[in-house]
Amino acid sequence: MAGDDKDATLSVGVWRGDADGGEYVEYSVPHRASQTVLDVVTWIQRNIAPDLAYRFACRVGMCGSCAMTVNGRPRWTCRTHVDKVARNGRLTIAPLDNLPVVRDLAADMAPFFEKWKRANGAFQGGETRDDPIAEVRPDEPERKEADAAIECINCGICYAACDSVRWNPDYLGPAALNRVWALHNDRRDVARDDRLAAIGGEGGCHLCHSQAGCTAHCPQGLDPSGGIAGLKRALFRAALKGTV
Amino acid sequence: MHLHRSETDILIIGSGGAGLMAALHAAQSCPTLDITVAVKGLLGKCGCTRMVQGGYNVALSPGDSVERHFMDTINGGKWIPNQDLAWTLCETAVTRVRELENELGCFFDRNPDGSLHHKAFAGQTFDRTVHKGDLTGIEIISRLMEQALTLGLKALEEHRVLGLIPAADGSGISGALMVDVRTGDFRFVKAKAVLLATGGGPTMYRYHTPSGDKTMDGLAMALRLGLDLRDMEMVQFHPTGLLAGPDTRMTGTVLEEGLRGAGGHLLNGEGERFMENYDPKAERATRDVVSRSIFSEMRAGRTTPNGGVHVSMSHLGPEHVRKTFKGMVERCRDCGFDLAGGLVEVVPTAHYFMGGVVVDTDCRTAIPGLFVAGEDAGGVHGANRLGGNGVANSTVYGGIAGERMAALCETMPFAADPDETVIEAELARAREPFGRSGANVGDLRDRLMDNMWDDVGVMRDADRLARGVASLDALGEELMATGAGPEKRAFNLTWHDWLNLRSLVEISQVIARAAQIREDSRGAHYREDFPETGDLETSTFTVVREVDGKLEARHDPVVFSIVSPGESLIEAA
Repeated sequence: MAGDDKDATLSVGVWRGDADGGEYVEYSVPHRASQTVLDVVTWIQRNIAPDLAYRFACRVGMCGSCAMTVNGRPRWTCRTHVDKVARNGRLTIAPLDNLPVVRDLAADMAPFFEKWKRANGAFQGGETRDDPIAEVRPDEPERKEADAAIECINCGICYAACDSVRWNPDYLGPAALNRVWALHNDRRDVARDDRLAAIGGEGGCHLCHSQAGCTAHCPQGLDPSGGIAGLKRALFRAALKGTV
Repeated sequence: MHLHRSETDILIIGSGGAGLMAALHAAQSCPTLDITVAVKGLLGKCGCTRMVQGGYNVALSPGDSVERHFMDTINGGKWIPNQDLAWTLCETAVTRVRELENELGCFFDRNPDGSLHHKAFAGQTFDRTVHKGDLTGIEIISRLMEQALTLGLKALEEHRVLGLIPAADGSGISGALMVDVRTGDFRFVKAKAVLLATGGGPTMYRYHTPSGDKTMDGLAMALRLGLDLRDMEMVQFHPTGLLAGPDTRMTGTVLEEGLRGAGGHLLNGEGERFMENYDPKAERATRDVVSRSIFSEMRAGRTTPNGGVHVSMSHLGPEHVRKTFKGMVERCRDCGFDLAGGLVEVVPTAHYFMGGVVVDTDCRTAIPGLFVAGEDAGGVHGANRLGGNGVANSTVYGGIAGERMAALCETMPFAADPDETVIEAELARAREPFGRSGANVGDLRDRLMDNMWDDVGVMRDADRLARGVASLDALGEELMATGAGPEKRAFNLTWHDWLNLRSLVEISQVIARAAQIREDSRGAHYREDFPETGDLETSTFTVVREVDGKLEARHDPVVFSIVSPGESLIEAA
């Protein structure tokens, strides 16, 4: 493998700039056998460009802080091995698409979380801390749907991969709608009808064109596209019943 | 030097389980309060609550009891814990888990009949760990985060707190000085009550598991305020951290305990199983025993290419391993290793910090208005933490702190004015590295991690500790001669690396000092020159504080306020 060759180097183009614009700057980085894209970025900051701005936290794919655009695709950089993505020893690294840039590789995640909030992504329970915990069998179909959607790390990769977000910045986007789908299948939640009505309106799930970029890129293997399709069906049924 | 000034009722520093739970409980107690959360990274995304794999200990199952959970916590902590803190933890965990499920929306795993599932976890006499697969932390922090978003609190994201500022009149806390990471602007936030909840995290060791943003800033600030820090020698090592070589952030990250429990083998560099030479339970021995055994093999030079040992799972059948440990197998695969069918290099890795600020069961400190919760607080776990008691600690005490701060605010017409000389001193302190160049901060960090690993690590003795203290002093001096270049403060990670390193060096010195005065082996603290555990009845805990720039270490007797060694709250069967 290339990484075993001590003299091997990677040629890395890193987008440097801010909200006013920027450009790719070239760096040479030693190629190692065990090396992630985040390690490449860190090496550049520690050894060549001390003012390079980027973001990371957990290092193991749980916090979703380090997502960037790598060779044109949004990825979690802490768990993307260089050998998986480098082409002829070449990498380009840029901030996530569809979000404002703070500086260099750090995107501003505020719009992403604003939409999570707008989609009413917070659970509303009917019980309190003094009540027993609800009995929900793991083989109930709704529980299975909720489980399949639940392990989102809010990294923003699906949002960056979504063409509908690119075309219409008002669109809630796959992560927020995936959360709504998980809640829609959570029978402990008491606001499911209201939530459905909210995502049926402006910026809601009808803006999804089922290109499924979200599902193709989700590092957790979730299927936001399938969830959005489920929401569209639920909206249709609710409209027939007159509950939305 | 321009300083933005603002005012709030409650200032919360940190947005993990403790910080966000505090915000929610404060808002519930008094909805009109103005609440500000300042966090080094993004809200709910940095820190370690997210990284919880195991789960949450709670005595909710029929047949289990708060008494039993408490006794397991005290026995696990080797009789060092503050018993009132441990009791409040176990008792409040019951309502807190119901709150997480019923009010905040966590959807924990169930048994086939629909009741809450509790899994077995090491060191406990009952299956009491509630979980969501092996990604429990993501479920807890995501639900807390989205509830916090609805509160309308002021979130100061990517704001690093530089120092806690006392009141000018000596009445207590006045607020905190911070820097906006993105712009480099300084800001002082005045508050009636302040919660320190930055999370500990022993990231000063060559191999460590916590989130990369954690660098002991909270404890370093508490030390500067003159607060008592207890149990600072107690660093929990997890036996199996991934070893992927130098210059990669993958190294040190945890491979789960279950691998050994399921029958995984540990092989030294000569390809031999060695655990039976140390303990009849072999790979299934407790975390501390396995960590020390691996460390002994490493010292003897029987290591794999990167200097650790191998974990081998393939004899259990690669398909079976792939199915049982899906998350771990996928993570190893992403890192370039085949856990199911091949060998993966592992090392013991610093995982959790039991030490922290001395607090009472209301999270109060010796400074009125300053509260501490989560991994920054000491005394809950004593000499060792049970797996599953970490996230219980942060959410239980975060909630309590939120309620107590809200109550305090109602009695206070306004926040106290700050001691401006401390603000000036903290500003100067933060700007110290500017204008100097010198060594590479990353190289100094590597040296710190090597020093701590070699001399203040898994196995300690008086000579090594003395050498450790001397190297830390030298490193501290070298850091002060090293800079961060010209004064550019906006998103300057190299400046933050420097500030991080300073916090780490200062708290490393406290760890070494506490380790020197504990001359017995207890839980996570192992002294080769004092391998026996001392008399339990006369147990003490260590306390270190800074007086006139010098560290003072002492022993305080453990008060057995609920149960004494030899007794139990559980009826003998």
